Amino acid sequence: MPERRLAATLRALHDAGIEFILVGGLAAVLNGAPVNTFDVDVVHSRDAANIDRLLQVLELLDAVFRIQPERRLKPNASHLASAGHLNLITKYGPLDLLGTIGRSQGYQELIPHSVELTISEGVRIRVLDLETLIAMKEELGGEKDRAVLPILRRTLEEKRKRQLPGLRPGSGPEPGAW
Amino acid sequence: MRLSGVTVITAVMATNDRIGLTDYSPDGVDLTLIRWMLSLTPAERLEFLEVRVNEIIAIRELNAGT
Repeated sequence: MPERRLAATLRALHDAGIEFILVGGLAAVLNGAPVNTFDVDVVHSRDAANIDRLLQVLELLDAVFRIQPERRLKPNASHLASAGHLNLITKYGPLDLLGTIGRSQGYQELIPHSVELTISEGVRIRVLDLETLIAMKEELGGEKDRAVLPILRRTLEEKRKRQLPGLRPGSGPEPGAW
Repeated sequence: MRLSGVTVITAVMATNDRIGLTDYSPDGVDLTLIRWMLSLTPAERLEFLEVRVNEIIAIRELNAGT
């Protein structure tokens, strides 16, 4: 089984100039929630120029649909332009490209609900904020979503305490906070 | 009386709670773990997850078929 390279996937998207917002479990982790995840979920801009760039980087990542990886079905521009979800496997591990999430919210609608975080030297990416992650999981209400909600809610509470110095003695702003 | 593992762990947690060594929310979330995660930068959180995920995969491969 190939090694999971979560950061390398994100760096490849960033370096190719892809407009995307990281969502899902990895977004929760980058927001400080102690949860485990094995894949990278992103909502991409469905703008034609972005889709062109995305197709090129998917080629470099050797991305194919993971439902039948042996058939090596590659996503095309029409797949990427749809509002649906593309579950891919790449040389760095699973990658889900999501046209929309929640109530049909796409890249543009989600930008105001995202923050920019540094994931390595010179690499800043957009990540869905914790408030919106929680709201979406509450709305969807699936069993998997409900299971992680207590951790996300407590993380948000702790973050808010840290952002209000004086509530907890000795607690300052978060390192690397946005 | 012989205690089950769960009873022993619960008893240890309760004892640690009394002497302030743990901090759980009423719904059972370990707040010390959250605070530790929040003490890291986003880049450090990503690196930590990546290392752990690869360790888990390596262990699963060692135990393939079990």
